[in-house]
Amino acid sequence: MNSLAAKAVLCTIPLLSSISISLRAQADSSLSGTITGASGKPLASARVSVKNLTTGQSTTAETSATGTYYLSGLAPGDYEISVAALGFDVKTGRMTLAAGGAQTFNATLTASLTPGQETEPSLSDLGFSPSQTKGTPEYQALLDRRSHMLQIHQRLGLITTAPLIATLFTSPGAKGHHGMPGPASGRELHAALGATTAGLYFSSAYFAIRAPKIPGTQAHGPIRVHKALAWIHGPGMILTPILGGIAYSQLSNGERVHGIAKYHSDVAAVTAAAYGAAIISVSIKF
Amino acid sequence: MMKKLSLIVLLLAIPQFARADSQWVLAQSTLTYHVTHPLHEVDGVSKAAKGKGVCHAGQCDFLIAAPVKSFDSGDSNRDLHMLQVTRGGEFPMVVVRTQLPEQDSASADIKADLTIQFAGQTVHYNQVSFHAAKQGNEVHITGTIPATVSDFKIDPPKLLTIPIKNEIPVKVDMAWRQQ
Repeated sequence: MNSLAAKAVLCTIPLLSSISISLRAQADSSLSGTITGASGKPLASARVSVKNLTTGQSTTAETSATGTYYLSGLAPGDYEISVAALGFDVKTGRMTLAAGGAQTFNATLTASLTPGQETEPSLSDLGFSPSQTKGTPEYQALLDRRSHMLQIHQRLGLITTAPLIATLFTSPGAKGHHGMPGPASGRELHAALGATTAGLYFSSAYFAIRAPKIPGTQAHGPIRVHKALAWIHGPGMILTPILGGIAYSQLSNGERVHGIAKYHSDVAAVTAAAYGAAIISVSIKF
Repeated sequence: MMKKLSLIVLLLAIPQFARADSQWVLAQSTLTYHVTHPLHEVDGVSKAAKGKGVCHAGQCDFLIAAPVKSFDSGDSNRDLHMLQVTRGGEFPMVVVRTQLPEQDSASADIKADLTIQFAGQTVHYNQVSFHAAKQGNEVHITGTIPATVSDFKIDPPKLLTIPIKNEIPVKVDMAWRQQ
């Protein structure tokens, strides 16, 4: 019998608890309303705060895109209501919430102004942070240095095209005819032009590589193609003179060009093509 | 005694006079500058502008601002170069101010006197034409600001040693919402 009573008590406790919660929910009040600007347009993201004047407990809600808000689970009692929105004066009011009641508090906010500012808005009113609106001479100096170095890179790069084209044109004279070595003057001219091309090319590359990087920027657009092509013409500009030097030596010894030196002109052609494409990639919009 | 009373009345009245009648907020915008070069036609676009208009006694003061670095021409290298030549490191914002009669919001054609702060310079453009169209609770404004690089004392950027044209018209496409 005692065991049965204990079971009954155990079953009754959750039942009573749920009744108590239910009664309390019924006793709680809710508050809703619409917040508008002076023109009558609804204000989105306005903050509605209600403070129970007895307990000091505060609850807040934000208005929707239509300017409406809804606060539930409020204990009956006296409340202080305040409504705030960016760029508007804070509106306050008092209201007594009855047990289980659903009450309405609407408010119309007036646009606020910074004292002494009269009607003219400022950059801070727009929501820009000081770090966004204040520049620094150091940042400008970094941009100036970068642009200056890249301008030298561009100029040297363009100048390089002249000996590069000339080197390509003197190539047949350096090779000789029907596989036989040609005159030494042809080889020497070709080698001199090739050396000039390489010298200018690496000077130009230095300024591109050493130009300062700007923090917070990511490369996009044709400049990515320009940079990617450097992975072809860069190694090509190293390999071409090496192979050319071997070929020069073989021809000077009266030999035919053989071994890896045979690829000198092929590597040079690919290098020149990649170099030309790199210039076009940043010169012509496509 | 009368003087004191007048002073009190005046002091009480000041906050009322200083209070704005209505506000406009820039809901959406696209600013596009156009650069012409013999080898290129480039458009730099920014959607990062913010703006506010405060109306009082029939006059509205508008302020529109955008970070210079927010303009995207489709090439990061060109954008950084533009940032450098426009001195965007020191003057990171392009700021436009104008004052319009409140009733202009209902007009289809607006002529505005603009004051533009950009690249460390302040330049005035008078009677710039804009077209306004009401769309729901927004007013859609379109127009072109006839800016030039020389107005702002910008050294014209060069490509392959050829400088860009002096004219850099800025197309404006904005949606304003009254609050």
